[in-house]
Amino acid sequence: MMKKYSVINTPIHNIDGIAKITGRAEYAFDIKLPHMLYGKILRSPYPHAKILKINTKKAEGLTGVKAVVTGKDTLGIKQGIWRRFKELCDEEILARSKVRYIGEPVAAVAAVDEDTAEEALDLIEVEYESLPGVFGPLEAIKQGAPQLHEHAERNINVTRHIEWGDVDEGFKKADHVREDWFRCSSQHHVCMETHNAVASFTPDKKLTVWTSTQSHYYIQVLLSWVLGLRENDVRVISRYTGGGFGSKFELDSAQFCSSLLSMKLFKPVKIILTREEEFMATKRRTPMFYYLRTGVKKDGTFLAKEGRVFTEGGAYTSMGATALYLTGFFQAFPYVWPSYRYDGYRVYTNTAPTSAMRGFGAPQATFCAETQIDLIANDLGIDPIKIRRKNAMYPGYEVPGQATIQSCGLSQCLDKIEKWIKSQGKLPPNRGIGIAAYGFMSGGIFNWFDTPYAFSSAVIQVKIDGKVDLYIGSQDMGQGSNTTMTMICAEELGVQVEDIRLHMGDTESCPVDLGAWGSRETLMQGNAVKMAAAKAKQQIIEYAAAKLSPNIVYDLDIKDRWVHLIARPERGLSYYDVVKEAIRGKDGQPIIARGHYTPHRKGMISPAYSFGVQAVDAEVDPDTGKITLKNCVTAHDCGQVINPLGVKGQLEGAMAMAAGYGFTEDLPMDEGKILNPNLVDYKVLRATEMPETKVIEVETYEPEGPFGAKEAGEGLTNPTAGALGNAVFHATGLSIKNLPITPEKVLEALKEKKKEEKK
Amino acid sequence: MGYKCPSCGKIWPDTMDLARHVFGTGDQAHKDWVNSKGLNFIELLLIQTMEPGNKGYKALAELLEKEAEKVD
Amino acid sequence: MEKQLLRITVNNEYHELYVKPKRLLVEVLRDELELTGTKRGCNTGACCACTVLLNGVTVKSCSILAMQADGTEVTTVEGLAEGGKLSPIQRSFLDHGAYQCGFCTSGMLISATALINEKPSPTKKQIKEAIHGNICRCTGYNSIIRAIKAVAEGKYKEEE
Repeated sequence: MMKKYSVINTPIHNIDGIAKITGRAEYAFDIKLPHMLYGKILRSPYPHAKILKINTKKAEGLTGVKAVVTGKDTLGIKQGIWRRFKELCDEEILARSKVRYIGEPVAAVAAVDEDTAEEALDLIEVEYESLPGVFGPLEAIKQGAPQLHEHAERNINVTRHIEWGDVDEGFKKADHVREDWFRCSSQHHVCMETHNAVASFTPDKKLTVWTSTQSHYYIQVLLSWVLGLRENDVRVISRYTGGGFGSKFELDSAQFCSSLLSMKLFKPVKIILTREEEFMATKRRTPMFYYLRTGVKKDGTFLAKEGRVFTEGGAYTSMGATALYLTGFFQAFPYVWPSYRYDGYRVYTNTAPTSAMRGFGAPQATFCAETQIDLIANDLGIDPIKIRRKNAMYPGYEVPGQATIQSCGLSQCLDKIEKWIKSQGKLPPNRGIGIAAYGFMSGGIFNWFDTPYAFSSAVIQVKIDGKVDLYIGSQDMGQGSNTTMTMICAEELGVQVEDIRLHMGDTESCPVDLGAWGSRETLMQGNAVKMAAAKAKQQIIEYAAAKLSPNIVYDLDIKDRWVHLIARPERGLSYYDVVKEAIRGKDGQPIIARGHYTPHRKGMISPAYSFGVQAVDAEVDPDTGKITLKNCVTAHDCGQVINPLGVKGQLEGAMAMAAGYGFTEDLPMDEGKILNPNLVDYKVLRATEMPETKVIEVETYEPEGPFGAKEAGEGLTNPTAGALGNAVFHATGLSIKNLPITPEKVLEALKEKKKEEKK
Repeated sequence: MGYKCPSCGKIWPDTMDLARHVFGTGDQAHKDWVNSKGLNFIELLLIQTMEPGNKGYKALAELLEKEAEKVD
Repeated sequence: MEKQLLRITVNNEYHELYVKPKRLLVEVLRDELELTGTKRGCNTGACCACTVLLNGVTVKSCSILAMQADGTEVTTVEGLAEGGKLSPIQRSFLDHGAYQCGFCTSGMLISATALINEKPSPTKKQIKEAIHGNICRCTGYNSIIRAIKAVAEGKYKEEE
């Protein structure tokens, strides 16, 4: 009997591993071309101002400066990811007449070195007329508030409504109704590689851009649009990307300004954003003001929920409209709500634009929902696990009008976590275990870009020595999709990982894929790769059939480089031998196959959903309010695991980022100015703060996923803040509804509690 | 049987869905249509959000019941 | 300002080059010697992506001038594998998936190497403290800690 899988579900070294650990992996950050110039960007010091005049003369006169560009040198196109919706395309990148946030680009310089370019920035004279600004969504929506964009009355950028069932009837029937207000903070991606690009425009009118991105296809199309070039005269190369987390699939100022400068000079221009620019002027997680009203029966059965959200949009739409929809959709996850109503408003403010970040609205939703569920359970005297189990989604459940859940291991996850909590026994004082359940999409079905291409495509070419060239459009930014795709290809074709040579990160040679966002690569690119591999395998098997002359009842397959009869695996031929003959037989043509995937009729959000439950064990110091994480255990259903090493890494990494969101990371502002734009004052989790982590895999089979696989990595950002908040609640009796849960807030709440007790 | 959006012509099964569509799209054309009928688009949105009971959507659905073209 | 002569041994190779006195060590390594394995993540000494060994001790190469390294021996990530043979720390990082995007990895490997050289059997707490300064946004650190621990436990001893 042969093993079910010979590649899948074995821990495999990242295929880029050796390049990365020997320092040979070449990021766009490392690119150096002959005669390359260096660029710097001048940014607005005002949160809201008219640009009256820009004088670049002095800067241009500085020795070593080669060119200065401003909004006047652009085509003045307002771009955005929703190409079909004019009002959602609102960002020029180089502002022509008005700036709307501190850090908005107004000019860019190319010079012989970075120091000269920096010096030239000081010589550019910009005359502004400062305008009154507005910095919070609840202020910006008021009558008479300063208006950012002409088209957006009362600064309303996008609205979203979701509704099913009879909510009003549900509340009438409820034994217990709770209302809570929450504030979810912002968070920065903090990719270790800051945004950067090297652009090279040549006299044949072709532009090549090396950059750090999550989607070379998006950047190609957006650049060609704003620069007035033909789509395929723009080549985008992104072999390695030093972290993305949602920050790198929109057109950014480094890509745009370096291209513009290069088109003027016909020389390569490199722009690297500094860490400070990265904080001030790239996108960030959307802050949200949440109101939740929930009605339940005495026994904990959920009846009705109403959610209302105002999100701080910042100055431009970016990807923010989707965060607004997803936070509403995932607010109802992962439970069965007979009735649900959601209204969300995204409001423009004079702050850095908010956009996609790992979880994309769902971490905010999950924090509020899971905090409130524990409060309800506490009100009714029901165990937190029991109330969740009672209302959990199950396989085959339909979210009315939105989605169909196929595989769902949520109740098994609850069982595993319950068992772990019991094994911990009684905790010492000031310690608590909080849980949070979550679900997430496995490939967003959002064609905001209105692409005519398939969502994912793959091409395979099998060479004479059996080596397989696999061409994919997806982008590895550390999440390990290169390895996942290689494994899927090897498994389906029946070879080993070493037989595959992967080609990615280049619009010139790779088929289109929409990129690494919305947890889409494993499912969408994975299905495309699997289809291409199956077609290539079919061609090889056709040649083997002649040799093996199987009876019609014997089907052929390839596994671990052995072409054989499925029913009698010992009868077979070497894959290498068959390939050689097959290519000869095809008059010398290599074996070529293509695969593609586009979701059709798979609901509004995603073809599949991952699920999980996380338990956080935390200690609160009652004297200082300091929270220490002790343990974090996650039971997790990502369908069939492809690479266990990759899944574990994704899980631990998501947890670290999400815990940061829960209690250390924040972007405090004063009149639109971020007060901590550096890695000293912005507190990401360090190694010494990491708790013990444990992963419990609950395997399900997802019919829509390649080999039954689903997403693993982004959804894991959802539960931690809620689980951490609930741990603090169980340790101290305090429920903090305002992220991040800092020592100051804990101390303040403790003081309040003592006052209340005295009364 | 359905209702046609007076602004863009998209057809919806009932006026509540049509109201959701009008709010959800929320572009200038849709806003203008609502405002031209004596209601204030943004005030409706704010009522919907700040007060319980789905009031904003109901008010718009009532207007659409009267104004939108019924199609078979 | 006039360029000055810098004599520096990097990864066992001796170099003499003229550099401006204000040039940082990381700039000379990356731009002049084309050793781009060493990264820069912050320029404020807060992320340790630029960590290298200077006479065996870790330094943040974005926080010292190149001329301060005159006459010293520097090891960068490119110097860890000798003759194409990965060092024990590198092999352990591979096996434990102790990197994802790879951008902090060079600094992390150098910090880990310095720790193991100094304390061949560190405790878990000492491991965490040794990489406390190195920010990794992808892995959540635990795979890195496991990788260093495995080396400390002798699982990657050179075969005789």
